[in-house]
Amino acid sequence: MSKYLPTIGIEVHVELKTNTKIFSNSRNGYGSVVNSLTNVVDLGYPGTLPTLNEEVINLGIKAATVLNCKIRRKMHFDRKNYFYPDNPKNYQITQNDTPIGYDGYVEINDDGVMKKIYIEEMHIEEDTCKSTHRKDNTYLDFNRAGVPLIEIVTKPCMTTPNEAKLYLEKLRELLFYTDVSDCKMEEGSMRADANISLRKKESDPFGTKVEIKNIGSISNVKLSLEKEIARQEKMLDNNESFKEQTRRFDSKLNDTVLMRVKETGNDYRYFPEPDIPFVEITDEMIENVKKTIPMLPDERREKYIELGISEINSNKLVQNRDLSDYINDLLDEKIDFQVAANLLLGDISAYLNKEEKTIEETTLNIERFIDLVNNVSNKTISSKNLKDILETIMTKEDSIEKIISSSDVQNITDENLLTEVVDKIIDANPESVNDYKNGHDRAIKYLMGQIMKETKGGANPALVMSILKDKLDN
Amino acid sequence: MKYLNKPIKEINKLLKDKKIKPTDLLDEVYASIEANKDLNAYITLNKEEAYKKAKELESIEVDNLLFGIPIAVKDNICTKGLRTTAASHILENFVPIYDATVVEKINEKNMIIIGKTNMDEFAMGSSSRTSYFGAPKNPWNHDKISGGSSGGSATTVAAGDVLFALGSDTGGSIRQPASYTGLVGMKPTYGRVSRYGLIAFASSLDQIGPMTNNVYNNALLLNVLSGKDNKDLTSIETDEDFTRLIGKPLKDVKVAVPNFFMSDIVSDEIREKVKETIKILEDNKIKVDYIDMKYIDKAVTLYQIIAMGEASSNLARFDGIRYGSSYENPENIYDLYVKTRSRGFGAEVKRRIMVGSYLLSGENAKIYYNKALSIRDDIAKEFDKVFEKYDYIIGPTTTTTAYNLDDPMDDPSKSFMDDVLVIPVNMAGIPGLNIPIGLSKDNMPIGMQIIAPKYEEAKIYQLASFLEEKINFGGDTNE
Repeated sequence: MSKYLPTIGIEVHVELKTNTKIFSNSRNGYGSVVNSLTNVVDLGYPGTLPTLNEEVINLGIKAATVLNCKIRRKMHFDRKNYFYPDNPKNYQITQNDTPIGYDGYVEINDDGVMKKIYIEEMHIEEDTCKSTHRKDNTYLDFNRAGVPLIEIVTKPCMTTPNEAKLYLEKLRELLFYTDVSDCKMEEGSMRADANISLRKKESDPFGTKVEIKNIGSISNVKLSLEKEIARQEKMLDNNESFKEQTRRFDSKLNDTVLMRVKETGNDYRYFPEPDIPFVEITDEMIENVKKTIPMLPDERREKYIELGISEINSNKLVQNRDLSDYINDLLDEKIDFQVAANLLLGDISAYLNKEEKTIEETTLNIERFIDLVNNVSNKTISSKNLKDILETIMTKEDSIEKIISSSDVQNITDENLLTEVVDKIIDANPESVNDYKNGHDRAIKYLMGQIMKETKGGANPALVMSILKDKLDN
Repeated sequence: MKYLNKPIKEINKLLKDKKIKPTDLLDEVYASIEANKDLNAYITLNKEEAYKKAKELESIEVDNLLFGIPIAVKDNICTKGLRTTAASHILENFVPIYDATVVEKINEKNMIIIGKTNMDEFAMGSSSRTSYFGAPKNPWNHDKISGGSSGGSATTVAAGDVLFALGSDTGGSIRQPASYTGLVGMKPTYGRVSRYGLIAFASSLDQIGPMTNNVYNNALLLNVLSGKDNKDLTSIETDEDFTRLIGKPLKDVKVAVPNFFMSDIVSDEIREKVKETIKILEDNKIKVDYIDMKYIDKAVTLYQIIAMGEASSNLARFDGIRYGSSYENPENIYDLYVKTRSRGFGAEVKRRIMVGSYLLSGENAKIYYNKALSIRDDIAKEFDKVFEKYDYIIGPTTTTTAYNLDDPMDDPSKSFMDDVLVIPVNMAGIPGLNIPIGLSKDNMPIGMQIIAPKYEEAKIYQLASFLEEKINFGGDTNE
C-alpha cells in the first residue's frame, strides 16, 4: 500500500449520435471528405445565427436519466469566449450556469465491491473544428465544428486508476446502449481527461492537481494514472514541489508528458448566449425520452444469469450489443438460453466476424433461431455438425428442419436403422465386445466411435448408446 | 421627379398598367443618387444587378404593391453576391454567399435592391462618422450629420433618391437618424423581424426595421420584413397587416409622456414642438398625462454594458482566418489576430470591444452584465405598468436636432447621450417609431417617438398616420 492517497476526477466528452449538428443543419458524420459537412453557420460567417437541434436536448435528457442526474428544467446556453483557430466564432456555445444534468452517479463493480461514482454535472456544448499541424501550417477541418457534445464531469471521488477505468467502461456501456453516442475513443467520439492529486491522508487538503488530457483509450487512462501516481509519489518523497499542470499520455514513451503549467485561471468571459432563448424541459419531454431507453446493461446481465446463461457469457453478450439486442427479443420464449448464448457467442459470432456481417444482415431471424436452438438442445443436430450447415442457415431462407434433413448431418434417430448399424459393428468387432464383457469400459467408447464413423457422425449419440448397451448387456 | 414622389399605390398602378417599367424607376433612382453623390449615402451600388432584375421583372406579373419598387439596404445586412462591409475596413472586400432573411423576403416581393447604405462601423455610433468610408451628410443641411448608425439609409430616403430603406436599431439607430432627417422610422418589437444575416452588434437588442418618408409605406414594408424565421430562434410568428389601422379613428386613447422625456436634457425648441403636438392630440380628445417612470434614466448605462459586452463577443469572429481582411505574413497565430484586428477595426469599435471585454471579464460579468440584464427586466416591467393604463408613450426622439459633422468626437459618452431617449425602447424590447413633427428655426427636422407595448406596431402606425395627417410635415404623406 502506498503512503499517498490518490484523488481522481474524470471529465469525458462524448459526441452525440444525431443526424445534424447542434446549431446548424449540416450533417453530423465522421470520416467524410474534409470540410464537406459544413455551412456558413458552422464557419461562423457574419450575421449567421445558431438554431437548436431538438435531438440534442433529447439525448441530453436521456444521458442525464441513465446517469441518475437531476435534470435542469429551465436552462440556457452560455458563450465561452477565447481565441483559437479551431473555434470559428472565437466563442464556443456551451452551458456554464445551467448544465442540463447535475448531481448524478453511476455504480461500478470493483471486484465484487459496488461503488457509486458521483457526477458533478453534465452539459451540452458544440465541438470545435479539427486542426492538423503540418510543418509550419495548420489545417482546419470544419466537419467537426458544431458536432453536439456532452461533457460529463465527476466529483473528485475515485481513489484508484482501476476505478477510473471501471467508471469509463460503465459510462461507455450506458451511453452506447442508449444510443447517446457511439463512444469510439479511436475516432474521438469519446474523449477522456483525468485529474489527479495525491495527499497523505484523507483529512489533508487535496494535493496539487495534474490534468492528463485527451487519453486515447480506457486502458491508457488507467495506465497513465498509474504512471502519474508513480511520478508524483517520487517527487513527493523527494520533497519536490510542482505546479498545477496539464500533461498528456504518450503511448510510445508509455508515460505522461508535460504540456503546460497552468497559468492563473483562464478568463473565458462567460455570458448567456443571447441568440438562443431559454429551453424549458417539461415532464412530457422527459417521459417521452424515458420511453426510448432500452433495457440497460446491468439489467440485461441480471436477466441473462437468471435465465441460466453463465456469468461469463452474460458479460460477453452485453459487450456485443447486436447480439444482446437480438437475444432480448426472445426473452419470453421457452428455449434453452444456455444453448442460445453458446450458439450466438460461438459459431454464429465466428461466422459473423469472418463475413463481417451483423446478425441483422443474415437470414437468421428470430423464428429460425428459436428452431435452431431447439434442434441443438434436443440433439437433432450436434454442435459439431452445425458448422457444416451454418452458412446455409445464415444465408438461405429455408426452414431449419429442411436444411438439416436435406444435408446428411441430421442425427439418425431411426431406431431400426441404428440397430442395424449397431449389429453390424458388433459383428465386426468381436474382441472389443469381449473386452467390454470382461469389464473394460473403454471398449464401449471404441464401439461408439465406430458406429459414429459408420453414420458419418449423424447418429444420435444417446440413442446409439442405449441400443448398444442393450445389445451388449443381454 | 417623375414617379418617386407619387404615393406607392399610384406607382403600382402605373407598373400594373404597363405605363412605366421598373427600369424607369431605377433611372430616376440612380440619377438622383448621382446628383446627390456628395451626400455619401452609399458604400456600394448594385446598379448592374438592379437593372438586370428590373428587366427580368418586365415579363412577370405585378402581384403586390412593392413589386419592382427600389429599396436601399443598410450595409450590415448580408446580400448574396453584393459586397457587405458593415462600414468596416475589416470587411472591405467581403461578399457574402448568402442572403439575410429580410433580403430573401424583399426579393420574394420582387423589390429591387439598389445599393448598400453607409453607416457607423458595425453600427457603433450615432452620427455615421465612424464609417470607414466617411460620414454621410444630412440632405437638409450638408454640414450636418444624418445621425446613426443607419445614417446612409436616412440620407438617401430623405434626399428623395428612393422610397424605402432598411435600417437596424440596437440603441436608436433607426429612430434617431429618422428624426434628424425627417423620416418615418420604425424599430419593431424585438423578434418581429429575423436577424439572420444582420451582422450582429448586440444580439439581444439588434432589430431590423423600415425607414420611409411616410407612415403607410413604412407599415407596408414591415409587412414584408416580419415573421417567424427558422434560422433565428428569437424571431416570432407574425400574421397581421400592419396597415390595417391606418386612418381608423382613435377612440378612448390615452397617452403618457414620461417627465424624463420632457426634462431639460431636451432642447427648448424640441420640447416646444412636442408640446404643440400634444396639444393637437388633446384637441382631438386624446387624453395625455405626464408621468414618472422609474429606471428609464438608467437605460443608457445598462445599454453600454449589455451592448458592449455582447459586441466584444460578436466581433471576435473577425480574425482574418475564414473571411474578411487578413494581415499578410503574420509571424504566428497571435500576430495574425492582433495585426488583422488592429488594422481592420476603427477606433470606436476597438474601444467598445475593449470595454465590453472588460465588462465580461472574471467577476465583472456578474457585477455588470448579469446585473444589467436583471435591471433591463425591471425597465420592461416599468413599461408594462405604464401600458396597463395608457395605450402609448410619446416624447421627443432626440434631445437636439442634427448637429454639425465637424463637432468633436472626442467624448465617447456624448454619442450615447444622443440616444438617451431612444435606448429605453430597445431595453424593453418594445416597438418605437419616429414621426417628424416639424422643423427647427434653422430648418432642421424635429421628430417625435411613439412607443407601444410589444406586438402593437399596428397601433403605432394608427397614431402616427393620424399625426402625419394633422401635421403635414411636408413632402408626400399618404397613400
